[in-house]
Amino acid sequence: MAIEPVDLAAPSRRPAAKLLVDGVSKRFGAGASAVDALATTHLAALAGEFVAIVGPSGCGKSTLLNIIAGFERPTTGRAALDGIAIAGPGRERGVVFQQGALFTWMSVADNVAFGPRALGQGVAASRAIAARYLDLVGLTGFANHFPYQLSGGMQQRVGIARALANEPEVLLMDEPFAALDQQTREILQEEIRAIWRRTGKTILWITHSIEEALFLATHVVVMTARPGRIKAAFACSFSQDADPLVTTTPAFAEAKRAIVGLLRQESLEAQRQEAAA
Amino acid sequence: MATLPDAGSPLTDADTFTRKTLRRDRWLGLGSFAAMLALWFAVTGSGLWPPLVAPTFLPSPVAVAQTFIKLATTGYQGHTLLHHFLISLMRFGIAFAFCVAVGVPVGLLMGMHSGVRAVLDPPIETTRPIPKLALLPLFIIWFGIGELSKTIVIAAALFPLISISAMQAVRAVSVRKIQAAQSLGADRFTIFRRVLLPASLPGIFTGLRVSVGIGVTMLVGAEMVATSDGIAWMALTAADFVQTDVVLVGVLIMAALGYGLDQIFRWLERRAVHWAGRE
Repeated sequence: MAIEPVDLAAPSRRPAAKLLVDGVSKRFGAGASAVDALATTHLAALAGEFVAIVGPSGCGKSTLLNIIAGFERPTTGRAALDGIAIAGPGRERGVVFQQGALFTWMSVADNVAFGPRALGQGVAASRAIAARYLDLVGLTGFANHFPYQLSGGMQQRVGIARALANEPEVLLMDEPFAALDQQTREILQEEIRAIWRRTGKTILWITHSIEEALFLATHVVVMTARPGRIKAAFACSFSQDADPLVTTTPAFAEAKRAIVGLLRQESLEAQRQEAAA
Repeated sequence: MATLPDAGSPLTDADTFTRKTLRRDRWLGLGSFAAMLALWFAVTGSGLWPPLVAPTFLPSPVAVAQTFIKLATTGYQGHTLLHHFLISLMRFGIAFAFCVAVGVPVGLLMGMHSGVRAVLDPPIETTRPIPKLALLPLFIIWFGIGELSKTIVIAAALFPLISISAMQAVRAVSVRKIQAAQSLGADRFTIFRRVLLPASLPGIFTGLRVSVGIGVTMLVGAEMVATSDGIAWMALTAADFVQTDVVLVGVLIMAALGYGLDQIFRWLERRAVHWAGRE
């Protein structure tokens, strides 16, 4: 079995956690119209771990990411990075969005150099950093293009380079490849794996795709339908595999089957909720 | 690093198609313009055949051109044609420049700060439906018959347009882009200067182009009373003497002014916000 159930909030993991989600919940609105987006959630990610969160639509996985990113405040509990409570957005937590977050009025190089410049680096130094990260994501020749001149896949590479350019402690990725076609997505998945191995970043990855989660992550978290809470979590070894075709092995299929089974009930529940609303 | 899955020239077949269509449409536009001119020639005769429409109602293009040359050399009612043109341009220009210099920042502030919006929205929204030309008599009482009242009546028409379009432009900026900037460590000022302001530019430009058109229209109203110069005044005065050729010269100069200003702003827009609407 290539996946093993694991308690990601186990007491043994908490003191060493790079990223700690401690009793976080989120309720939107108040009174009768209040919506519980996220039930009380505990999660600890150690340095260098790649944690993928899968769950049905509207299960609060993006809300969880937004809280860790500092875009939203939790209703209860707290999220912390290296033991320091998160109070707002910060450069130590790089965010990659699904799409539409690039600065369309800037060249690709200026997009990537935005972070270093915002942190007070000079123009030339920032440009040099941008060139390095554009090289890392394979966009060396596109520094002076504008985002609208690039394909969706290339735009996501810019987003990844931009987030990496500030050398964040953790990368928060909110369905970064969801809008891409299958072929582009597979290539980018391999690349993000290579980048993760090379840089050793802690990554929190939100996705709809079980395959993507199993292929990339060291840990896969399955969430329930709204209000989302952690239904199960697994340690997962496929990300260590050198074989790019590991997704076609029987062990992978077996692991996928186990998680699909868990997620199916939740997706049905989510659909039921939607129909009732 | 793996090779790019989708690298290549960003130019596609669709672009060549667009370029062909553009070229065709440019010729169609020119043809349409030429047809209008030909019709004008035909109905007025232009000295080649008897006019179908009396010159008092519609002088021929040749007569209008001759009148233009005459006006350009000898002037109209004590002022050169250039003077009339420049004084009109100045009245518009000062009002427009004021509205850009004040209206854009006010609109941006309204867009970014709900408190500022709460204070400034009522005065702008309640006065917006008033036809500003109706206020001209009041402005003349308040500010006299000089340049000030004319400039103010034009500015009064442009200010709400420009400030509200700037406000809406800021409010339409995607939250994701702001969040992206925040998580890259940008402070409030950096976010304003490098995200909110550039992201609002397309919306601001739209407001500016609309107000150029309206501003030229307002010139006619502003030069209706208490004036003795200006292109619109020239046309209005000539109409009193049934000098239809002079009226047409004035109208065409104002049309050219409006068209020229619009072209300038289109050009500026293309240069400054070539990325607008393309994600």
